[in-house]
Amino acid sequence: MKEQTTRAMWWRSPSFILDNRQQQPNDTARRDALSIPLSSPLPPSTTMADPNPNPNPNPNPLTDKISAYYQTRAAHHGVVSSDWLAQAQAAVGHLPEGDDDASNNDQGAPSGKPFSVIDEFNNWRKQPDLAEAVAAIRALAAVIRNSQATTMMELEIELKKASDSLKSWDTTSISLTAGCDLFMRYVTRTSALEYEDFNSAKTRLIERAEKFGEISYKARKIIAMLSQDFIFDGCTILVHGFSRVVLEVLKTAAQSKKLFRVFCTEGRPDRTGLRLSNELAKLDVPVKLLIDSAVAYSMDEVDMVFVGADGVVESGGIINMMGTYQIALVAHSMNKPVYVAAESYKFARLYPLDQKDMGPALRPIEFGVPIPSKVEVETSARDYTPPQYLTLLFTDLGVLTPSVVSDELIQLYL
Amino acid sequence: MPDVQALVNEFLNKLKKRKIEGSQATAKQTAELLRSVISQQRVPRTNQAGALIDAVRAIGEQLIVANPIELAVGNIVRRVLHIIREEDLSLTTAAVAELNLSTVSDDDDDGGGGDQDDRPVLSAAAVAAAARNTLRPPSLQMLLEGAPDFVAVPRSSSSGGDSEGKSKSMDRNSRTRKLKHDIIEAVNELIQDITTCHELIAEQAVEHIHQNEVILTLGSSKTVLEFLCAAKEKKRSFRVFVAEGAPRYQGHLLAKELVARGLQTTLITDSAVFAMISRVNMVIVGSHAVMANGGVIAPVGMNMVALAAQKHAVPFVVLAGSHKLCPLYPHNPEVLLNELRSPSELLDFGEFSDCLDFGSGDGSPLLHVVNPTFDYVPPKAVSLFITDTGGHNPSYMYRLIADYYSADDLVVQRRHAAGN
Repeated sequence: MKEQTTRAMWWRSPSFILDNRQQQPNDTARRDALSIPLSSPLPPSTTMADPNPNPNPNPNPLTDKISAYYQTRAAHHGVVSSDWLAQAQAAVGHLPEGDDDASNNDQGAPSGKPFSVIDEFNNWRKQPDLAEAVAAIRALAAVIRNSQATTMMELEIELKKASDSLKSWDTTSISLTAGCDLFMRYVTRTSALEYEDFNSAKTRLIERAEKFGEISYKARKIIAMLSQDFIFDGCTILVHGFSRVVLEVLKTAAQSKKLFRVFCTEGRPDRTGLRLSNELAKLDVPVKLLIDSAVAYSMDEVDMVFVGADGVVESGGIINMMGTYQIALVAHSMNKPVYVAAESYKFARLYPLDQKDMGPALRPIEFGVPIPSKVEVETSARDYTPPQYLTLLFTDLGVLTPSVVSDELIQLYL
Repeated sequence: MPDVQALVNEFLNKLKKRKIEGSQATAKQTAELLRSVISQQRVPRTNQAGALIDAVRAIGEQLIVANPIELAVGNIVRRVLHIIREEDLSLTTAAVAELNLSTVSDDDDDGGGGDQDDRPVLSAAAVAAAARNTLRPPSLQMLLEGAPDFVAVPRSSSSGGDSEGKSKSMDRNSRTRKLKHDIIEAVNELIQDITTCHELIAEQAVEHIHQNEVILTLGSSKTVLEFLCAAKEKKRSFRVFVAEGAPRYQGHLLAKELVARGLQTTLITDSAVFAMISRVNMVIVGSHAVMANGGVIAPVGMNMVALAAQKHAVPFVVLAGSHKLCPLYPHNPEVLLNELRSPSELLDFGEFSDCLDFGSGDGSPLLHVVNPTFDYVPPKAVSLFITDTGGHNPSYMYRLIADYYSADDLVVQRRHAAGN
């Protein structure tokens, strides 16, 4: 523990180099949200316990907590990497229902009940078209359906437990947290209001939760419709990351016979750009692939930047795939508008003050060549883009400027 | 309704021929026209509000198409639609509140609920709260609440009870009359607001203009004139630089007015703005329209003044009456929200007749003259908006818009499918 705090104090100064050499080998202790963002550093030779030449040159990925959220996304993107695949299988489990303990990850999840909200959630999550938050809400709806509670208070308590377990299962996913919070908020508000009859209240909750799933599809359509006006003939759009919402926007524009071309960033290491360019090529939209470093070079040809969001935070900024902040900075300096397409259930009650303020979400990066074990790799999967670099947010609540987001959140939560 | 149609046609004509100058006059005439439409519209027994909304929408659509650049027309149409919805809502909640009291007592007599209605008993407060949500723009809490169901409930429950049939129909008649009456009153208030917006804005002048200041303005705006004169009357002494606002040179008129009221004025050309801006304490300008993101549609030349002010860190204050607030977001406003006027304002046809001649060469003149009416100023260039409700940040404008307009009215087009 003392080592941890020393690290916390020194990580910004060069003395961390010395410090690292004295570190204890494996940091298996649970990190808190504000602690070290770097992956656990390693002393030169001692921990390479396996003499087997590891096919993965990335040292010690197994002790890092790989973000399950990004695993799913990577799965959806069709990126296969040898070691995380094994991890994913271990963490997620093969059986949809049945033994809950076996299917939970090393974290040791709760609920010894036959019904496990985590399983239910994983089921829903596997569908590539379904958003995380909606999967969470559907899982919570299943909790209500299977609950034995007879009063609203009991139900609420059960839901809270389920929601907490979902949230702790993957602390890095913002839309999951936001979805759970939104649903919990709804439950606590509803119970106070109208229904004296518990069963009808319960039915109502279930039916609202089911409807919420439809909202996911509708939300994307609404966002696509709203953004049509902003795409004009002959424009060049720069896209980063593989967002299903942005894809819907571009699809709708292509189908309404608008003429435009798209620059896709490669999106290392998830190769999101490749996948997106595949999809766009199917729509006959002219696509140009850029490596991530070529963004500033091509920015003067670009008319607007379109990105999705993993989460929209209280300040109006967004949390999105690594590289978004960079692109927003470049676009801002060259006066290009940055548009964000995000559904409203991604609004989260977070207020990051800098890049490291969020819980770390890590994912392994393969360089294709062996790296010396002394070399650290920045494996964070996401960054925070402050609101002053964003022009407009397209959400299913309408077109919003970043300052509207905090207003919306206040209305809901306070 | 033939006389209303004649009025509408006359107004449409005026709009198409650009005979009405200025957003205030346009807004006032639009509101008056819609008031006549509403008062002459015959409404059915049930769903009076829906009928009124359809009628207003039909006419509003034509008005907006006649002059799409004049955003005040669309603003007023949407304001009136919002008024209709609000008044309907307040009447309905009042009625439901009475109704629920009586239904609850019926239930007690029968000794068991659930025979007349499958729906659970809802408290009036819940209905009111839910229905009010339909008026507000969609928000996170509405996502899960599904408000439209609730609004349907009062209507069905009101048609359900037969025992009080007679008194109910009496109520409905008086409710019809009351609805129209309320709406027309509210529209009258709206017209009053439009007419008096200058005074409310001018009242705030003394907080912003201090002793011995130098103010810059461009072109001529009645709001700015009233604003400056109000400060003068409160015994502030300051100087005004007026940029003439080519090609209409309305700055000349403003300068004359200011001198007549006793203010020290300096007249400069538009090109001199950058040169003089470092001597100026504050820029105060009027606007043609304010968009939902805080961007401003203003007479041409304003963007240049905004850039100059930004560069020299001079506060750029925009005065706008509430009828100028438009709930739309601008995309490509320089082209879509702009109009090109006659080249004769720039050039004298007589002198330039050979350059502008369509008969010479291959049938198209070599000299083109572009005379745009408006400029778009992006929100980050504006320091403060002063409206009749007070001073606001550009990023706050969406809030005012949410107060004045309903989300359903953003697209004013007749819906052929059912529902509002």
